[in-house]
Amino acid sequence: MHQSLEARLNSREPVLLDGAMGTELVRRGVRWRKHGLLTDADRVQQLHEEYLAAGAEVIRTNTFQLNPRIYLNVFRNRQHMRHIGAPGLEDLTSKLLRTSVRVARQARANAGKEHQAAIAGVLAPLEHCFRPDLAPEFELARSEQLELARVFAEEKVDLLLGESLNTIAEARALAEVARAVGLPVWISFVIGPEGELLSREPLARAIREVEKLGAQAVLVNCAPPAEISRALAKVKAATRLPYGGFAHIGHFSPPSWKFEFFPQFSETETWPPERYTAEARRWRDEGATILGGCCGTTPAHIAALHAALGARREGAKSA
Amino acid sequence: MTYPAIGKKLGAGEMVILDGAIGTEILRRNVTWADHQLASRPEFVRGIHEDYIRAGADVISTNSFQLCRRALYNHFRDEAHRRQIGAADLDQRADKLLAASVRLAIESRERAASGRPVAVAAAITTLEWCFRPDLAPAPQQAKREYREIFQVVKDAGADLVLLETLNSISEACAALEVAKSLGLPCWTSFVCDERGRLFTGETMAEMVAALEPLGVDAILLNCAPPGDINAGLKELLAQAHVATGAYPHIGRFDPPEWMFTDEYPPARYLQVATSWKQMGARILGGCCGTTPDHIAALGDLRQ
Repeated sequence: MHQSLEARLNSREPVLLDGAMGTELVRRGVRWRKHGLLTDADRVQQLHEEYLAAGAEVIRTNTFQLNPRIYLNVFRNRQHMRHIGAPGLEDLTSKLLRTSVRVARQARANAGKEHQAAIAGVLAPLEHCFRPDLAPEFELARSEQLELARVFAEEKVDLLLGESLNTIAEARALAEVARAVGLPVWISFVIGPEGELLSREPLARAIREVEKLGAQAVLVNCAPPAEISRALAKVKAATRLPYGGFAHIGHFSPPSWKFEFFPQFSETETWPPERYTAEARRWRDEGATILGGCCGTTPAHIAALHAALGARREGAKSA
Repeated sequence: MTYPAIGKKLGAGEMVILDGAIGTEILRRNVTWADHQLASRPEFVRGIHEDYIRAGADVISTNSFQLCRRALYNHFRDEAHRRQIGAADLDQRADKLLAASVRLAIESRERAASGRPVAVAAAITTLEWCFRPDLAPAPQQAKREYREIFQVVKDAGADLVLLETLNSISEACAALEVAKSLGLPCWTSFVCDERGRLFTGETMAEMVAALEPLGVDAILLNCAPPGDINAGLKELLAQAHVATGAYPHIGRFDPPEWMFTDEYPPARYLQVATSWKQMGARILGGCCGTTPDHIAALGDLRQ
């Protein structure tokens, strides 16, 4: 991992993540096709730069749920995809993953923060993050996630972040995959209405499992702030690893015609930066050190969080 | 009620021109269709309908592809999860947008049809993804959901139901029975493969034998390239007693959007449609990738 990040993590200093990529790009009018990485890469990069300027120390690639299944799933089968699909769909994912790392790296260079900020390659559930019933079994998840992780390793991200994971099996698969490609990994679980994993599997057990497999931090994300607060109390009791969370704000407002994750959240104005920061400050007071924002949050939220946490002593040189 | 005029044409063996794509046409005009644009930009959707009416379409189809409660609910684990994180209007959103899609088509007819009989077809597809028969719900469940959808479009004033991009006989039968029980004329349109079979592997003969006794008003094929449609149409025409038709897609599916190609400009598209007319098809239009210019070219089929 980025050495400065590792040191800060282990000394339990706060580490600031960025906020949402997908929902913020959509809010700004970017058409959600190919994660914006083909037609609007400049705007993806611009958003990374804004998060860095806001104080984010870890920026996450714009690759949530970007895997070959999201394209294959909308065809009858692979043969049908070749028959009526646009050319290049089969290799598209790895190309987009590479682009995602490059724009993050360029943003970091433009911000002059090569030594201050880390790039996390985001891996997510292979099927829809909110549908644990569709999640692949461990072996299948492992082999498919390995292909994605290899691309991130080749592109030299600083760490992998498994995000919105909804089953223990897929979280374990990701932790193993990270080890196989030699990258540090943080694991973040999506929290359901019961306060456990969305699959209803116990959060404490999930944490133990990924801890055994070498996860360097555990997080909870993609639930409303109050649910993240409750879940963090459970995380605290379950692990001695560095931990944290990033909540979504507003309400998921999905499109009416397709199945892959479409990052559109409504009524996010009910959680302005000050309100979000007040909630996140409680997480910090309880011992969480890795904080950021999930769907609906913006650079303004991260800037407010940065100011409130006094996260980074200005001028602190590292690495 | 405009359907009787259309039904009469078909009964007399005359051509009926269907409209072209609406979803991909929204994209071609550089707007996203993630929310169908029914609530946010009604005038834009109406504009496309009006262009198709002026291009000569006898039947226009509503901008309602995959618009149903299930499509929205599928994004969540279950009801508890939807209540926890979902937008508050999701319970009513599908019904509201469906009704709006019919209303916009009717308004477009009032503005552009100049007294010519133009029927508004509520375009309804499979409850799950159109290319994935493996995901289809069981028939009893499908019937409950189709009843809700069809009641909404009937109340909103649709002249007929166009069940499109169907992929299995069982779901088609479930939907058709419900449409008929509500007194709605019903056309069923299937996607087919290179062998001219449904995506379940079922044959046109099996499909026709199942649907005609239930009172289907017309059987069509759509959302496949012209070559595949041609293969399916040969089989269909050999079996069907009711009116038949086709509306292929042109270009390439580039999820989540569409890739437009110049492989089938309007003149060539007309040639393909003319050959289908000669084979016996009477309802012709366009699926994904087609434009008002393609539909205007089909006007020559009336001669």
